[in-house]
Amino acid sequence: MEFSIESNYDVSKNGWEVIMAGEIDIFNSEQLKSSLLKLINEKGKNLYLDCAKLTFIDSTALGALVGVLKNVKQGGGDIYINSLKPNLTKLFKITNLDKVFIIEVN
Amino acid sequence: MQIDNNHDNIELTLPINAAYVSAVRLTASSIAYRMGFEIDCIEDIKSAVSEACTFIIKKIPKQHAIDNSFKIIFDLKNDSIEILIKLVRAVEFVDFENEMSLLVLKALVDSLDVDISGNKLTSLKLTKLKKENILETLEG
Repeated sequence: MEFSIESNYDVSKNGWEVIMAGEIDIFNSEQLKSSLLKLINEKGKNLYLDCAKLTFIDSTALGALVGVLKNVKQGGGDIYINSLKPNLTKLFKITNLDKVFIIEVN
Repeated sequence: MQIDNNHDNIELTLPINAAYVSAVRLTASSIAYRMGFEIDCIEDIKSAVSEACTFIIKKIPKQHAIDNSFKIIFDLKNDSIEILIKLVRAVEFVDFENEMSLLVLKALVDSLDVDISGNKLTSLKLTKLKKENILETLEG
């Protein structure tokens, strides 16, 4: 399944709500990074990533998210991740990135 | 429905190209499902084989990726699956350690053998046990 993102700016949250869907791996992780950086460079401080429709990520996707987080933090914002599937939560825990990102449990 | 004969051997040969990693994942999860692995183990196998391919693609110098390929051999056993990812032509790699893909890979499988001769990586072998066999191993 291909990867896609939909984004909406939320003024009250001073950031973007991003719905991510599909699979992110070495083939398209750079696309993820550039799409998210483009949003944050346009306006806003925070990213709210809705991962309910995200079925797969790998270490390159995690690396891309870390790269985006560095930018977001420089602007005083944060990345909030919600609705992660258990297999994806596991990867954040293995890499200790669950302590770096704000993982919201629904 | 599960497969009857758990001693089959399935082999894929792929160019060293990130575009095909999803095909490896799909194959791995399909085989693991047919072998009767539980859903969380299937996800582990899928991620592990993907990370192994990613590791090779990221670490192989570009000039060695052209005209080279890797074989992925799924060895189906009653109690486990062994997946061998083997470069057709061994290549000198640099900086094996501190790689996130290897960190993830190690955490997802029951054993990982990285075959390095000199600085040349020849293969990665992953083994994932079925859950009931992990319990038997723990019981001794």
